[in-house]
Amino acid sequence: MAGSLIKIDEEIVTSSVASFTLGGSDWDSSYDVYMVAMNNVQLDTDTKNIQYQFTASNTPQTTANYDYASKNLRANTGFANESNTNLTFLYINSSTGTGTATGETTQAILYLFNFNNSSEYSFVTKEELARDYNGALRGGQGGGVYTVAEAHNGIHFFTNAGNIASGTFTLYGLKK
Amino acid sequence: MTLEELTVEATAEIEAAKPLYKQVNNERLEFTSADYDQAIIDLANSKWNDQQFGYIQARQEAYGSVQDQLDMQYWDSVNSTTTWADHIAQVKSDNPKPE
Repeated sequence: MAGSLIKIDEEIVTSSVASFTLGGSDWDSSYDVYMVAMNNVQLDTDTKNIQYQFTASNTPQTTANYDYASKNLRANTGFANESNTNLTFLYINSSTGTGTATGETTQAILYLFNFNNSSEYSFVTKEELARDYNGALRGGQGGGVYTVAEAHNGIHFFTNAGNIASGTFTLYGLKK
Repeated sequence: MTLEELTVEATAEIEAAKPLYKQVNNERLEFTSADYDQAIIDLANSKWNDQQFGYIQARQEAYGSVQDQLDMQYWDSVNSTTTWADHIAQVKSDNPKPE
């Protein structure tokens, strides 16, 4: 169906920044499901990964209530499972991190569920593809949950060292 | 290291990295003091996560594929060698579990 993705917010990073929030004061609570598209994202430090937290009332939620599970698909070796519980953040790339050379970028799609429902946990599914700091291609399929029943109004992105050097992050609502 | 020790390390790294910037509606702004405080907490938590669980991912990276390990085991059985056991022991030794 045409016109089913309604653009809500976008951040285009062209100069290094340590963090930013998609949604927040720009959040539109009229959707059940949201999608975040990440295109050509690159960090300025090798081996690091893109991390994120849900925001509630514009504030990143930092308590140790994030659980995640992911299948990491690696072009240069076998596939691997990755999971953990009670973290203070979720992340996009596998914990081995991404790269800074030409073409070592991350592309990803996140779907956000239950963000407007204060009596349910918020979930995120992740589908990503990146070239890591060795130039190896890595896919990832999985997701996470924040195990506190509360409403959320955005995603706060940051990294575990250095900065987000470039990339386009776009938040859409899925039209009901 | 304890989380408190990692927080000291994270504080030094954030101090050294100043100024840090955030992007708000495509405008680049320097961190507020609250942003810096949160960045220290996030970095310390990330370091803690790496310290406690990083060896799991590192071992997964270092282990040969299942196919390669089966091949090692086959040739070990033919030649009475210990290639597979040596490989596993080496990966564990190179990526020790934190105490």
